[in-house]
Amino acid sequence: MIDRLRQFFYRLRSLFHRAQLDHELNAELAAHLELAIEENLQRGMPAEEARRYALIRFGGTEQVKQQHREARGLPALDILLQDLRYAVRGLFKNAGFTTAAVLTLALGIAVNATMFSLVSAFLLRRPPGRDPEHVVVVSSVNPNKVFHADAFPVSAPNYFAWREANHVFADMAADEYRTVNLTSQDQPVALPSAAVSANYFSVLSVTPQLGRTFEAGEDQPGQERVVILSYELWERHFGSDASLIGRTILLNRENYTVIGVMPASFRLLGFTPQLWTPLVLTATDQTAAAHKDRSLYLFARLKHDATLEQARAELVTLARRAEKRFPETEKGWGAGVRTLPDFLIYDFEIRSALAVMMTTVGFVLMIACFNVAGLLLARAAGRRKELAIRIALGAGRLRIIRQLLTEGLVIAFLGGSMGLLLAYWGINFVRANMTFNEAISSVPLSLDWNVFLFALGVSLFSAVLCGLAPALKSSRTDINTNLKDESRAASAGRSHRRLRAVLVTGEIAVALFLLIGTGLLIRGIFLVEHQNLGFQADRLLTASVSLDSSRYKDASQQALFVGDVIPRLQHIPGAEAVAITSNLPAAGARGVTLRIKGKPDLPTNQGLSALDVVVTVDYFRAAGVPLLRGRTFTEMDNTAAPRVILVNQEFVHRHLQDQEPLGKQIGLDVGGATAEWSEIVGVVGNVKAYSEDTRDDPEVYEPYAQRPVPSFFIMVRVSSDPNSLASGLRNAVAQTDAELPLARVMSMPALIERQKGGNPFFTRMLGSFAILALILAAIGIYGLIAYSVSQRTHEIGIRVALGAKSPDVVRMVLWEGMKMTTIGAAIGLVLALPLPKIFDAIFYGLHIREPRLFFIVPIAILLVAMLATYIPARRVSTIEPMIALRHN
Amino acid sequence: MAESKLDLLQGTLDLMVLQTLAAMGSLHGYGIARRIEQVSADNVLLNQGTVYASLVRSHQRGWISAEWGISSNNRKAKFYSITKKGRKHLSEDAAYWQRLSSVIGRVLAMQEEGGDQ
Repeated sequence: MIDRLRQFFYRLRSLFHRAQLDHELNAELAAHLELAIEENLQRGMPAEEARRYALIRFGGTEQVKQQHREARGLPALDILLQDLRYAVRGLFKNAGFTTAAVLTLALGIAVNATMFSLVSAFLLRRPPGRDPEHVVVVSSVNPNKVFHADAFPVSAPNYFAWREANHVFADMAADEYRTVNLTSQDQPVALPSAAVSANYFSVLSVTPQLGRTFEAGEDQPGQERVVILSYELWERHFGSDASLIGRTILLNRENYTVIGVMPASFRLLGFTPQLWTPLVLTATDQTAAAHKDRSLYLFARLKHDATLEQARAELVTLARRAEKRFPETEKGWGAGVRTLPDFLIYDFEIRSALAVMMTTVGFVLMIACFNVAGLLLARAAGRRKELAIRIALGAGRLRIIRQLLTEGLVIAFLGGSMGLLLAYWGINFVRANMTFNEAISSVPLSLDWNVFLFALGVSLFSAVLCGLAPALKSSRTDINTNLKDESRAASAGRSHRRLRAVLVTGEIAVALFLLIGTGLLIRGIFLVEHQNLGFQADRLLTASVSLDSSRYKDASQQALFVGDVIPRLQHIPGAEAVAITSNLPAAGARGVTLRIKGKPDLPTNQGLSALDVVVTVDYFRAAGVPLLRGRTFTEMDNTAAPRVILVNQEFVHRHLQDQEPLGKQIGLDVGGATAEWSEIVGVVGNVKAYSEDTRDDPEVYEPYAQRPVPSFFIMVRVSSDPNSLASGLRNAVAQTDAELPLARVMSMPALIERQKGGNPFFTRMLGSFAILALILAAIGIYGLIAYSVSQRTHEIGIRVALGAKSPDVVRMVLWEGMKMTTIGAAIGLVLALPLPKIFDAIFYGLHIREPRLFFIVPIAILLVAMLATYIPARRVSTIEPMIALRHN
Repeated sequence: MAESKLDLLQGTLDLMVLQTLAAMGSLHGYGIARRIEQVSADNVLLNQGTVYASLVRSHQRGWISAEWGISSNNRKAKFYSITKKGRKHLSEDAAYWQRLSSVIGRVLAMQEEGGDQ
């Protein structure tokens, strides 16, 4: 083994010391001959004879040298180096061809590598902690049709029951996401926080940067005034002060001791809060009623011998047990298990967008490869004689294929390196433009190893893709016809033409498919952005408020705050209407299940559901949502009065089958509370649940006085620029409670803009890819047809000489081009037909139907192809027949 | 027509070169080739040049060492000598060939007996 290795190193070394070794060998062989001649002379041979005899005994000098080289070196590598040298020399000589091919591939590889950096950052990066593959997230499966129904939070009683009863988890932790108010010298701020069980950090196996994590018992009442900060908060808010450990900070008006700071690397995508406090669960969290309050995310570590499938099966059994014991609340509910990385990505909704982007750039690369293959093919045709000579001199077919593939490899690697360089800028550009979402922009994008390896793989793949067809084709060169000088075939051979036709049709099919696909998506996003949301977003100022439980312990105190702050807000100069709402319009709302009096109860999984929003009296006037029937809320609809409710049009249509809604009684299953009947007193217009969603959902509105909530939004309709009233709004709230922080004070249009997030950016990217694809395809089609026309110059010369008119020639060439284009377009069109359905399935709420695209895009492609054909056709038709006939 | 010369079996040249060096000490390529010719009494079909491929192989494997020196008649030549490792390999290889040739000899003898009957 060691001998083999040693020999290999010698052989490798000999590659780099070729000249020196050859020189030594020459000296050695010369000495050999001289010794032999001398001996022969001594034996009495004449000088001439002595030399001849020595040479005969020695054998062929060149063969001996070759044997020696093969014995000392690595013949396979030698051939490769030889091919490489030859390829590089050839490419240098054809600078124009090389530049075109390398640039085309570089563009294709650059867009792929740039997009892949997103895949690498979001899908391939491991979550923090030891062995994250063994960490799983346990969720409820909601039987109702709600967003992410199979990744729903879990109730506290189920958490306790499942933690005790399972056999698959080494440990299980719970986590509830909240907002806390941090008060320091300057302004109070509202921060996303997580209340976690004491074992949370040990389940994830992460260690703090400073201090310690929670200890057992710190999640018991009375012990829970400790807090762990995120690195970001510690750095930004506390100036990276290490002496902060052990000191107290004010959270929700209570003193909490800082015990630790987590490292910056501890991020869980959208589940990354700014601080962690202990989760205190008491006896009330174990009651039957607590089953309805599903707010916990469960993180568990699998036992070493347990698999994900076992965990899934176990949780299904446990969910069934809960269903049997608490049919009232658990009927139809299931449980699911996902690995931590899987859960984070699933929740992030980024997989499908990335899949679409990667497919798009994949097609762009394919078009680029088609182009380069076309170029190589044209070049190979020009080298027919050279290849024929080499084959005649004894080069094997495999050797020729190898040589041509090496050439493709050199082009691909040049393209790949340049592509990586371009990708470096591309990634910086994408990073600079992804600032629309905190969770997204906090994920660092970079040209990491994954991206590098991906680019390498893509380069290799394109080398084979573009090099193989021309290589196979050329290796079949017929020596006889190609060596003869007068072998100017009137037109190119059949197989050559077929390959070219395949390239052109393929390119057109892919380009068409891609353009229709991106066109559909861009149109879909455009429709969503310009849809009527059902309310007037302009001139609305909004702010988010979370009442802490220490000052606002119960519903009446929360109602008191609202009763106090509304008149103050109304007194701000410029305020036209003021409302409090549990959810802003078109910004998401929570779903509830409900019953309608007089209708039979449906099985849980087919139960009725609606979005539930709690609003104050002036909400509909402030938001500009039209009242269609009945009345809106008044000050009379308070705790003393009978419960009333408003529904939207879609509710009447879907749940009441368009029957008379006024006077009907409905009961909402709001978490914890016993369902009470509320009377429908009015119908209002539909408001989109999300600004980026085109569907209308059934929705109910409850009066704030009858169902106060601690977290809500302030909404003020103003007569001028909303942002100019921001300080007035802050002052008004401070007059009611100076320590209460306001979060996200912004105008409604700004909020919607932020919510749309990446859509405009996404559209721009898709659009630029589509245009890039179209340009590449046009260049490719032009190149292939121009080349095929130039191959036929001789034939066309004969035709013209025999009397064909210039328009006839143009028509003939155009006809050939159009034939290929039409076939390619037809294939692309058929492939693109199911696209709207596919997009419906992967983009929640995006409903795209745009039949016009299926006409516009093919026509555009046909026009581009016609132009690409016409230019060379026109040129060749004006050529003098004599020149054409001499054309080689 | 002279009796045709023996074609060299794969690997036998390396063995001959090693044995020559083991017996003669340090030698240059020409010396090795001549020695093999003499010993085989011109029975072997050997182009003298082929010993050089064998020499580079053996050198890479560490069986022989090489250095430039001056020949008996004052010429610069590359001299080869067998190493310790080379001697070990030679003894293993020689044992192998001897076993093989004795087996072949016995097998052929058996065939002759059979042919007599």
